[in-house]
Amino acid sequence: MPVNLKPVDVAVVGLGAAGGVAVLPLVRAGLKVAGIEAGTWMDPHKDFHPDEIHNNRRHGVTTVPKVQREIPTVRANPAETARQGAASPMMNAIGGTSIHYWAQSWRLKPWDFQARSETIRRYGAGAIPQGSTLEDWPLTYQDLEPFYDTIEHEVGVSGKAGNLQGQIDPRGNIFEGPRSREYPMPPLRGSGFTDHMAETAKKLGWHPFAPPAAINSQTYQGRSGCVYHGYCSAGGCHVSAKGSTAVTTIPAALKTKNLTIFDNAQVTRIVAGNDGKVTGVLYLRNGKEYFQPAKAVLLGSYVFENSRLLLLSKSKAYPRGLSNNHGQVGRHYFAHYDSWAGNSMKALFPFDINIWYGLPAQGACVDDFADDSFDHAGLGFIGGTSMHVYTEVHPIAAAEADRFGKAPAWGSGWKKYVRENASRVAQCYLQTSTLPYESGYLDLDDQVRDPLGDPVCRVTTGGAKENEVRAGRYAQTKMEQWFREAGAISVSKGNITVAGVTTHTYGGTRMGDNPETNVTDKWGFSHEAPNLGLIGGSVFGTSGARNPTLTIQALAWRTAEHLAKNWKSIV
Amino acid sequence: MLPHTEPSEISRRALLSATAFVPLSALLATAQPTPALPAAQTKALSAFVDRLIPVDELGPGALDAGVMNYIDRALAGVYANRKAGLLEGLEALDAYSQRENGSVFSDLTVPQRDAVITAVEAGAAAGFVNSAGFFAAVRSLTMEGMFGDPFYGGNRNFAGWDLIRYPGPRLAVGPPEQAMKVELKPVRISARGGEHAR
Ligand SMILES: Cc1cc2nc3c(=O)[nH]c(=O)nc-3n(C[C@H](O)[C@H](O)[C@H](O)COP(=O)(O)OP(=O)(O)OC[C@H]3O[C@@H](n4cnc5c(N)ncnc54)[C@H](O)[C@@H]3O)c2cc1C
Repeated sequence: MPVNLKPVDVAVVGLGAAGGVAVLPLVRAGLKVAGIEAGTWMDPHKDFHPDEIHNNRRHGVTTVPKVQREIPTVRANPAETARQGAASPMMNAIGGTSIHYWAQSWRLKPWDFQARSETIRRYGAGAIPQGSTLEDWPLTYQDLEPFYDTIEHEVGVSGKAGNLQGQIDPRGNIFEGPRSREYPMPPLRGSGFTDHMAETAKKLGWHPFAPPAAINSQTYQGRSGCVYHGYCSAGGCHVSAKGSTAVTTIPAALKTKNLTIFDNAQVTRIVAGNDGKVTGVLYLRNGKEYFQPAKAVLLGSYVFENSRLLLLSKSKAYPRGLSNNHGQVGRHYFAHYDSWAGNSMKALFPFDINIWYGLPAQGACVDDFADDSFDHAGLGFIGGTSMHVYTEVHPIAAAEADRFGKAPAWGSGWKKYVRENASRVAQCYLQTSTLPYESGYLDLDDQVRDPLGDPVCRVTTGGAKENEVRAGRYAQTKMEQWFREAGAISVSKGNITVAGVTTHTYGGTRMGDNPETNVTDKWGFSHEAPNLGLIGGSVFGTSGARNPTLTIQALAWRTAEHLAKNWKSIV
Repeated sequence: MLPHTEPSEISRRALLSATAFVPLSALLATAQPTPALPAAQTKALSAFVDRLIPVDELGPGALDAGVMNYIDRALAGVYANRKAGLLEGLEALDAYSQRENGSVFSDLTVPQRDAVITAVEAGAAAGFVNSAGFFAAVRSLTMEGMFGDPFYGGNRNFAGWDLIRYPGPRLAVGPPEQAMKVELKPVRISARGGEHAR
């Protein structure tokens, strides 16, 4: 029998990028919140090191290895047996993956929210890719704008506005949607190489800018500015310049005394009553089971676990899993076509570009071929790709890298090559806007189980999609042009395919007005269980051509604020 | 030019309390009391990594840099789950060498060893579960041992970092250290404390 705990107003499951933000508007409204998190605190002074082996090779920046104990299985289609791949890139701690993420902090474009209707308007209904289940989001960019603004200021995002209330400023991204305010901090500085790339992009007639990041470019709210030391890509920040929720919104929420954190606590089921409302969550801590009663539950355990927990939580009211009476939990799943999908390129320069230091959010970005910034007539795809060149390379990765066909992989010939060229190879980050398809979904694996005996999540990718592959290839030709114009002597292109378990995944609890095709309503609350909210990429209906977390956090804040403002009618 | 900001203002408190950088003398790279692999396979592996990164006019090779020490520690600890696969590959390596050249790998001449490695790398060597996979696994461990932080038992005297001209871990980096075409004065310290890695 589980230990029954004192009831709270809201149980937030997972204190990562999403849950760590959602707690703040709740506690500020005076609600009593239990934050239930599988991991625990990390100490910036003890746990974060400029150490490639620990951070990048051994996934050492985490507190418990929960994500590694339940790595989802992956298959292309139902005829295949799904298999577990390599380690998961995500982590478990208070702050979640916002501790070691790259912190690129983008707003989606107005187009991303209305890709369906905008595509039909501009190119006709035939332009919607076959098999896609694309819908317009149930909210517009304008609806979300105030929440983007809130997160940019609460968490601290550095950047330069390119569209301030309709005023276009070429120092920022001229293709962005209008913003109500300037960023709270100027952008991170460039490096010699990224400045060179920005100059080159201008020569090509493009519109480069320094990308936004949840990393302080100067002291902000008592936290230091970035020190550019070069160990950010899978590491926590030792001076807390990176705005993980563990150093921003969670401490702010704790100050109110309305948040109680239950750490090292793994939620195993969400409990629902016969009336269809959720009543609380069951969790395990040190082998002991607890029941935390709550008047409302917000689930922010990352995309795979959000769907898995719902599917595992069966009850009288929900025989096929919580909030799954319409069979939509797990549907409309997709993974970003970024470097995890082979959408990557490298370039060799005939001189030292020196990108050892810095951080992945230090870079030059071009949005001219993203979203609907350009005319797609005759191209055979919709959407597009953001292109970003950046700094931070570590010695093992540099030594191990591909050699553009110029040298062997070992021996004295390799030594000669690597000595000359380790400091001459540039990398880029390409992110292609991705759509949901009928063939992509999550469910429970029928073979592989986690140590508790529960099935792991199973990913059916549906295979690589023509639209996204074409869009990615188109961007690769532009990226090659950019590198060559900057002086590159060799360029290598990744082979674009569909990604498995990655950092940018979406869907499974999609947000939309129609309960027949969506799990949550436009506020992020279940169409079926009215006091259950979903937060994270699992509610997205499109990805956009950029990293998801700022949008995840803006939506999480909006969902939490909606709950607080409509408390009586929701619970 | 992208918009620039002044170099970050770093609070002294943050820097002082940050990750401790320790001098190399504080590091004691001692081997495990009992090696993780049996003697025969240790011999084969060390002959293999010696050819992957040989000593030559560009400086020390994998063996001088303590790559074997790194691998030994890793297999005894965090990479224990890779041991079985590696052992299997090393046994296949010796068996293949016997069949092709009449002796175990470590007794072959240098050109013979290189020919065997070439076949193993290409996935063309018989008798392995997956010879290209075995090659990739050994190369990956070798790279970690040669170029990782010396804290883990390899990269002795920073031989790996010197080879590729890595300027070393710095606590804070300013714009001049991020210019193109500069030779920076290398920083040669471990970013870790002196205690042993697991
Ligand atoms: C290396 C890397 C770089 C990235 N870079 C960027 C970037 O530059 N920009 C960007 O926008 N995004 C980036 N991302 C993606 C970003 O990390 C995610 O979008 C974001 O963290 C998702 O937020 P989340 O809250 O859904 O998940 P997480 O942040 O992973 O948080 C989920 C939390 O839930 C907890 N949890 C899970 N299951 C349970 C359970 N059953 N019970 C209790 N607790 C549970 C976990 O321990 C974790 O703390 C990156 C990711 C990685 C790995």
